[in-house]
Amino acid sequence: MKVSKKARYGLRALVDLAVHIQECPVPLVEIAKRQEMSLNYLEQVLGALRKAGIVKSMKGPKGGYSLDKEPKEITVEEILAAVEGKFCIVEKKEEKELDALQRAIRKLVWNQIDEDVIALLQDMTLAEIADKASESEKKLKTESGVDANREM
Amino acid sequence: MRISTKGIYALEIVADLAMHSTEDSWESLKNIANRRNLSEKYLERIMKGLKDNGVVVSVRGAYGGYCLAKNAEEITAYDVLAAVEDEMIPVSCLGEKGECDRNNGTCAVQEVWQQLWERIQKTTEKVTLQDIVDEVEKMNNET
Repeated sequence: MKVSKKARYGLRALVDLAVHIQECPVPLVEIAKRQEMSLNYLEQVLGALRKAGIVKSMKGPKGGYSLDKEPKEITVEEILAAVEGKFCIVEKKEEKELDALQRAIRKLVWNQIDEDVIALLQDMTLAEIADKASESEKKLKTESGVDANREM
Repeated sequence: MRISTKGIYALEIVADLAMHSTEDSWESLKNIANRRNLSEKYLERIMKGLKDNGVVVSVRGAYGGYCLAKNAEEITAYDVLAAVEDEMIPVSCLGEKGECDRNNGTCAVQEVWQQLWERIQKTTEKVTLQDIVDEVEKMNNET
């Protein structure tokens, strides 16, 4: 069971945009550099997010990507749905293809996972994650600052 | 994100075993394979993981076969999946050999995957094999 690379990169790119919201539009190269991602791959992922209306892009020398909605209005559920489709722990099959045992397992286990995970992801907003990310970034900076002073 | 085919089959096999075996009457690999439409060879591979992780027990010989290692109400869907999935954790940075050295432990995105993982664990730990057996019987009675 693995979260896809697309989903991991998509979420990280968006957190990056939300953290640097004052500097938007952010050039692709900057996100790629900060997040250590390949330009090509990042462009693909952001393309999917643009189609879903989560980010927008501006061409030109001062162009780049920005969020197309407020971070508090973007949920992790819609981000994942945009890059890898609606969350679904097993491939959906027609009811008539399944026997009673498979239908029971689908109802009690697979559908329950989907329902619980989707509810959880709908409750998480990009704003919350970006806040935590900025905090830990600040903390890291102060900590390394303290260390640098000690060394001197 | 998907559960592996192995995980899906494992849950079906163990639920099937719960319905067709008792402590005194063990079920043969052949019968399970026939009912679940799987090759005995593939079934045996899945059974090995289940056996190694204490979900099922087996005995060789003419009256041998497989049986659950515990009562059906003591085995959860999580136990079964964890026994056969090579890697249950959804992102490697949550595991022991985390491959990501980016702000490990303070990464806000990692926390999202951590919560996702905990939710899947919680949901699958709540369902027992007995729940599945009861549901199958309910469905069979309805039709």
